[in-house]
Amino acid sequence: MSGTTSEAELDELRGTVRDFLTARSGEQQVRRVMESERGYDEAVWSQMAEQLGLQALALPTEHGGDGYGPVELAVVLEEMGRALLPSPFLSTVVLAGTALVAAGDAAAQAAHLPGIAAGKTTATLAVAEADGAWRAGALRAEATRSADGWSLRGEKWFVLDGATADLVLVLARTGDGPGLFAVAGGAEGLTRTPMRTLDPTRRLARLDFAGTPAVPVGAAGTAAAVVDRVLDVATTALAAEQVGGARACLEASTAYAKQRMQFGRPIGSFQAVKHRCADMLVRVQLADAAAREAADALAGVEGAPEAAVAAAVAHAVCSEAYMFVAAENIQVHGGIGFTWEHPAHLYFRRAKSSQLMFGGPAVYYERLLSRLGV
Amino acid sequence: MPPESSNAIDAFVAEVREFLGASATRRTDHGAEIEWGRGEDRITYFSEDPPEVDAAKAAAAQAWQRTRYEGGFGWITGPPEYGGRGLSSVHDLVYDGIEAEYDVPDTGVLSLIGLGMIGPTILAHGRQQVKDRYLRAMYRGDVIACQLFSEPAAGSDLASLETRAVRDRDAWVLSGQKVWTSVAHHAQIGLALCRTNPDAPKHKGITAFLVDMSAPGVDVRPLRQMSGGAEFNEVFLTDVRVADDHRLGEVDGGWRVALTTLMNERASVGGEGAGPAARAVSLPFLAALLRANGRLDDPAARRRLAELHADQAATEYLNRQAVRRLRAGGQPGPEASVSKLMYAQNLTRGAHFAAEIVGPRLIADTGEWGTYAWNELLLSTPALRILGGTEEIMKNILAERVLGLPKEPGIDTTSPFRELRRSGQRRSGQRRSGHGRSGVTG
Repeated sequence: MSGTTSEAELDELRGTVRDFLTARSGEQQVRRVMESERGYDEAVWSQMAEQLGLQALALPTEHGGDGYGPVELAVVLEEMGRALLPSPFLSTVVLAGTALVAAGDAAAQAAHLPGIAAGKTTATLAVAEADGAWRAGALRAEATRSADGWSLRGEKWFVLDGATADLVLVLARTGDGPGLFAVAGGAEGLTRTPMRTLDPTRRLARLDFAGTPAVPVGAAGTAAAVVDRVLDVATTALAAEQVGGARACLEASTAYAKQRMQFGRPIGSFQAVKHRCADMLVRVQLADAAAREAADALAGVEGAPEAAVAAAVAHAVCSEAYMFVAAENIQVHGGIGFTWEHPAHLYFRRAKSSQLMFGGPAVYYERLLSRLGV
Repeated sequence: MPPESSNAIDAFVAEVREFLGASATRRTDHGAEIEWGRGEDRITYFSEDPPEVDAAKAAAAQAWQRTRYEGGFGWITGPPEYGGRGLSSVHDLVYDGIEAEYDVPDTGVLSLIGLGMIGPTILAHGRQQVKDRYLRAMYRGDVIACQLFSEPAAGSDLASLETRAVRDRDAWVLSGQKVWTSVAHHAQIGLALCRTNPDAPKHKGITAFLVDMSAPGVDVRPLRQMSGGAEFNEVFLTDVRVADDHRLGEVDGGWRVALTTLMNERASVGGEGAGPAARAVSLPFLAALLRANGRLDDPAARRRLAELHADQAATEYLNRQAVRRLRAGGQPGPEASVSKLMYAQNLTRGAHFAAEIVGPRLIADTGEWGTYAWNELLLSTPALRILGGTEEIMKNILAERVLGLPKEPGIDTTSPFRELRRSGQRRSGQRRSGHGRSGVTG
């Protein structure tokens, strides 16, 4: 269905999500939730599913989804990024949802996707280990098979919403190569430890598996392709979220530059400040274009570039743009922007944590070159 | 502009293909792999051709424009009564996209200034006899037009221009100096902005004229730019007579005329994704450069290449989406200004990147292909951040028109022009600037 949603319908979706998040995830709510133990508001999560159907939006129709695609999903994520919504949406819908779809295991899809679509199940995907690298090779976590079935041993780090997810999909090595395994969040032999995080609106956890029972998802040894696909979809989704956050920073700076008076005039009339804002606008426009193009490419829109290339471009451009704009936003605000009370630091934290989540510049620039065959 | 029905566009595409198939040959290098070391060892942005080559290229451009005109594609968006087709800018984009697949002469000498900017200005502000006399001839390739706007003391602040026009019965007498005038040495006509009322505020005392470039008193001198060639000119006007019917717009209403021209300039700058310079800083070409120099595994070089390519790709996406929005009947957004800034930056970064890779072979010519040749592009890049609106002006436009930030206070738009402080000029009764700024320019 992607590519057939009109601009007007996308605008309507955007308006609906923005209204909802304005009402339910304003700055005060974000601050309250980020100090809470779970790190997200379960009532908001339920309403997202029941009132707006956001979790179901881009999941397949045969498993309780609405069958829309990356373009519609991007609109939702952009608004979530703008509102700094603390939520297991990226982990549940984007990481775990995409992994389940990509693994092509009908039984696993039937078991987990309807719950995700209905907002009843939160889920995540555990790939990185102690070094934080997102890759399918050189895994230390291991899955072994015995008469009782499969079990996992090893550690996973930087697991997005890993401490609260109902379902954890774990990448582990097997005798046949990397495999994907489903583990219940409360499984025996699984210890979940929240990690201290730079970004309080995005939770990460360390998971320790000590003979934890697990169910294989998809054919053994095929998980490398799943991780590749998840990276394309997740970095495209993240790019949209980054654009939303970056645009919020640009709007905050612009509003402040019009209103803040120094030397008897609005600071936005000084070219030094004005040009800073123009530089921010340039970066936001480029990021917006890159994120849109990547979503179109994933959706297979006619004339769009190759999805793997567009996703890599978007991940690099949007990561850099958000970080730049979030940092400049503090400079435009001056002293007030450096206070805890001002939201500028929350965007700064989100920008840096998003930039580094899948490895950071050294990784994403190399990925771009490799996808271009250089 | 209403969205074009895809049937109408399909019919137009077929017509374009039939025309080009009959009048031109398809390019063989379109989308071809880079073959390092093959072909002419030049990387140009400005043409640095000797005069006879320059003249031959202009003649070829005029001949191809005539062919286009006769095929019905000389002025796709123009009104039929002046030789246009009366179609939309979408058709224009479609035509350009298809023509890029064919090996045809570069018509920039005609199109960038004359057909892209001056033609629409004449159409909007010219009197009937001027439109009748010039428009068809311009789009048929017979008449090349130039833009006599910038002056030594009026660059970004164009409205402070000093070239005078004084009324003499049914004519005007023009005197002054214009600078950075592209294609003036080929042009038959020039659109000149002149001061007609120094007692009015600077924007309100300017009048626009269409000047016959062969009239007595017009002296075109090549202006050699830092890259070595002379793509631009200085134009000296000494008591040049222009008939009043060659005035565009009202007396003292020339700023409106200029805005029409500049609006069309902004529409044309930025979409420059093709050309030898863009190809030279493209990922395949720069990757070939790294390979040829054994640097393809150098992490620092790879990082810079990837950073550059990410921005190039995003700029290309931005342009493509702008075109799609136009095709769907949308309005142009801030993309053109963003593209213009990014195009200049990307090309500049690409040139300096290549320079670093070739190293000492850039500063002295070893004769090796693909090394010293980068100098031509390198020495052209500073201009890209100036021409068509300096970076500072482009950023002002983005900040003020898109973001709505307040204008710089203290910019005097109300005092009579003759009371304003300007560079290169000292008059009795006026206090000298303490900055040492006056007398620097011009």
